Amino acid sequence: MALAAFLAEVEELLSAAQSAFAAASDAAAVEAARVEFLGAKSGRLKAVQKGLGQVDKTDKPAAGQRFNQVKLDIETAFAAAQERLTARPATSAKGPQFDPTLPGRRPRLGKLHPLTRTIEDLKEIMGRLGFTVAAGPEIEDEWHNFEALNIPAAHPARDPLENFYLATAGAVLKSPLLLRSQTSTVQIRVMEKTKPPVRIISLGRVYRPDDADNTHYPMFHQIEGLLIDRHVTMADLKSVLRLFASSYFGGDVHIRFRPSFFPFTEPSVEVDMSWNDQWIEMGGAGMVDPHVLQAVGYDPEEVTGFAFGLGVERVCARRHQVTDIREFYKNDVRFLQQF
Amino acid sequence: MIVSWNWLKEYVLLDMPVAELERRLMMAGLNHESTEEVGGDLAVDLEVTSNRPDCLGHIGIAREVSVLFDHPLRISPARPREGSTKISDLATVSVECPQHCPRYTARVIRGVKVDASPFWLSRRLATLGIKTINNVVDITNYVLMECGQPLHAFDLSKLAGRQIVVREGRPGEKLVAIDHETYDVGPGMCLICDAEKPVGIGGVMGGANSEITEKTIELLIEAAEFDPLSIRTTARRLSLHSDSSYRFERGLDPEGVDWASRRCCELILNLAGGELAGGMIDIGRQPVPREPIVLRLAQLKRILGIEIPADRVRQILDALGNGLVSETAANVTVTPPSWRRDLTREIDLVEEVARIHGYEAIPEDVSVPMATSSRSDEDRVLATTRHVLTAVGFDEAYTVSVVEQDWSSALSPWTDAEPLVSQTPLLRRATCLRRSLIPSLLGARRTNETLANPVIELFEIAKVYLPRGDKLPDEQLMLGLTSGSDFLSVKGVIESLVTEMNKHAECEVAETRHELFTAGRCCQLRLGGEVFGYLGEVSPAGLKRFELTGPTTVAEIRLAPLLKIADLVPRYVKQPAFPAIHRDLNLVVDETVRWAELARIARSAGGTHLEGLEYKDTYRDAERLGPGKKSLLLTITLRAPNGTLTSQQADAICSEIVAVCHRDLGANLRA
Repeated sequence: MALAAFLAEVEELLSAAQSAFAAASDAAAVEAARVEFLGAKSGRLKAVQKGLGQVDKTDKPAAGQRFNQVKLDIETAFAAAQERLTARPATSAKGPQFDPTLPGRRPRLGKLHPLTRTIEDLKEIMGRLGFTVAAGPEIEDEWHNFEALNIPAAHPARDPLENFYLATAGAVLKSPLLLRSQTSTVQIRVMEKTKPPVRIISLGRVYRPDDADNTHYPMFHQIEGLLIDRHVTMADLKSVLRLFASSYFGGDVHIRFRPSFFPFTEPSVEVDMSWNDQWIEMGGAGMVDPHVLQAVGYDPEEVTGFAFGLGVERVCARRHQVTDIREFYKNDVRFLQQF
Repeated sequence: MIVSWNWLKEYVLLDMPVAELERRLMMAGLNHESTEEVGGDLAVDLEVTSNRPDCLGHIGIAREVSVLFDHPLRISPARPREGSTKISDLATVSVECPQHCPRYTARVIRGVKVDASPFWLSRRLATLGIKTINNVVDITNYVLMECGQPLHAFDLSKLAGRQIVVREGRPGEKLVAIDHETYDVGPGMCLICDAEKPVGIGGVMGGANSEITEKTIELLIEAAEFDPLSIRTTARRLSLHSDSSYRFERGLDPEGVDWASRRCCELILNLAGGELAGGMIDIGRQPVPREPIVLRLAQLKRILGIEIPADRVRQILDALGNGLVSETAANVTVTPPSWRRDLTREIDLVEEVARIHGYEAIPEDVSVPMATSSRSDEDRVLATTRHVLTAVGFDEAYTVSVVEQDWSSALSPWTDAEPLVSQTPLLRRATCLRRSLIPSLLGARRTNETLANPVIELFEIAKVYLPRGDKLPDEQLMLGLTSGSDFLSVKGVIESLVTEMNKHAECEVAETRHELFTAGRCCQLRLGGEVFGYLGEVSPAGLKRFELTGPTTVAEIRLAPLLKIADLVPRYVKQPAFPAIHRDLNLVVDETVRWAELARIARSAGGTHLEGLEYKDTYRDAERLGPGKKSLLLTITLRAPNGTLTSQQADAICSEIVAVCHRDLGANLRA
């Protein structure tokens, strides 16, 4: 008998035995399989073993080695089947029993604040659109918070009651400082130090004296984008905002501009996006005012640019259906753990 | 600005449904707030941005409608009939403070009959929510709401010396206004006075002493210009905001002053009778002709990204009241109308053309050139910090940057300078720019304790503000932690964070002390040779100060040193292929011996095969170990790079460690 033929027979036996033991669902079936394959008199293993004698002498060691391994494997399969059946919980068992339905020991996972999640999402999308994050101080001078942003001294936005002006050690500072009222201050600082093109987002805390209620808080977060280059138009602004909104909210989003007024952009617009067949306010935007470009030493005849801003709390509240933005600053662990 | 639908019809044909009007106005810059039915009329509430005071009257809104729907605008020429008596014989006006009041005009009407207003007039005011008083006062309000120019009618017979003097208030001066409240009208405020006393707060509110009553028969009609900043300051100081002050703050049409005065007189003559004196008193600056503005047509495409035909551009500018000066194939030069003080530059005209032409015309699918963007190292370090802290079970908190005095003074680990103070509190009593995150986090902890939340593990990444005299303060990014577990647990979190940033970095401990922390269970942390932060269990006094009950540990660390040591791209190191041997050692030492010292000595004694030295436990038993002694259990890991260590080799290294620790620290192996 050829070695190949013998080995084929052996392999077939092994696979048949393994499936029989695996399929056996009670003691009787296991016993039947045992008799069929491992039976001392007429088991199939025994029958195959007889074939071993007929293998060519030179091939015998190889054939024998494989046969012994297969025998072990079949015995293992038999033992496993027995084990499997006897391990089932017996209703009559005595003593303590392990209860696998007990809850597992869960490590406590901390949660990121929902505002962080929103900021990271927005940063990531804007990053894909080529905008790099820029940072700047929260406490500002009047040049960066007002003058350079085309907000002259007589402008109502400069009113002391509309801002958080600072003092130190009881005395008013020689040159006034205040908590920034918008993150556009960062744009000014970047443009003062960088030649065009500029493509950045600035984000962070801003401060305005609003009474706290479910849609207002005197401190909140803004994210603002700025793109300055040759040949930048309002069509670019609309298209970038559409890509941004489609990416964040998903689906086929459209953008609508309504005329508005901001000192640092002209034209200025309110931005709406269509979502579920409704127009939803996104934020403010516009083309960077020539005065602002001049204030940072750019030539408005050479470059143009757009800027847009969103309130992070508003985006986040809408995303997660938070109905009171004061929740963001209360830090109730039950609130934080929801996200 | 509330607009009456019926009233608006007087100036422009309204042949569209109200919803269509609202939509078109919104898309041209007048945001629609609401529309309500009031007694058969519609009150349409429109939001007017601060650059468009011309829209703070019905005519201004009508003008927008006329442009948007291409309907003609009808405005009364306002030519009241003048009598023979000259005004100069009836009253005089002097202005002593032109900086507050650049122009003052007056007209006089004698022989009026003050009575109730006719129905149509009171009806229109009612739609706007304005209370009717009498025909004369109602007419001044009506003209205000018609053209946006505030007016005031004085009872001329009540003006001492039949005289108006416009001057600044004097120290201690007071005035009872027509709202019957008394106001302190001191220096810096513009007062309208007669020969003896104040009779009104210029541009804000008239005085009760000269108001129109049913006995009034002689009127002086004021139509003036007041300085916007001056009005705003006065209105703020007195907390007195009126329809007049609102409009003066935004600046008005200088050429509208006289029209408003004539219109007011015309209506009074029609509705209350009397005779208008000849001429007017007009003191101060006269309207200056507007400078022409050149609009290069190519700028439209350059800014808006769309072509707008030259004809359309001219038509829009013309409809808006701009006077055409000249035009070429490339440029249009116009003089803006007097009521549009906001139009001074080319870009202003670009915006006007765009908003009337419609932003819908701008496409939203142009291809924007691609650009690279990169993530800063700081961003990466912050992301890693957040990952580590959430992984070990801390929730992220956001607390407010400005805190109350008591919290501010509780802890200031980074500076001795007094905090910067906001002149207006951010929230109730919160005026101090914080110098530490910890008080805020303890406050958040208290919020959670009062809710009986069982696990309160919070971290925050935010700035503290360290004053630097007159300069911008030093804003430093901090990581604050508050936990219900003990010193070593929180220290472990910080150590894990440091190791995660750089596997070779270790922070060191230095002494510190503060009344908020339990003595001995707090420390300063140092990293890379600089102060990294501090860590401590909150003392009973500290817990009491923040009204906390549960055990609390806090830490605050600077992110700058972490950024400095951060190894953002770790390099592969091939690990030895041979097994390690672990040995436990129990070393009995004096209480005064510290782990850091023992570890340092043991490490140096262990030689190159000592791979790890891990603290396991401290054991104290005065009977077995003797008084003042403790036993430190440590596990050492030994491995050779080039072969498997034998048991004998391992024992030899252990013996060496024990021997050196005995020699240097008096340590003994516990039996």
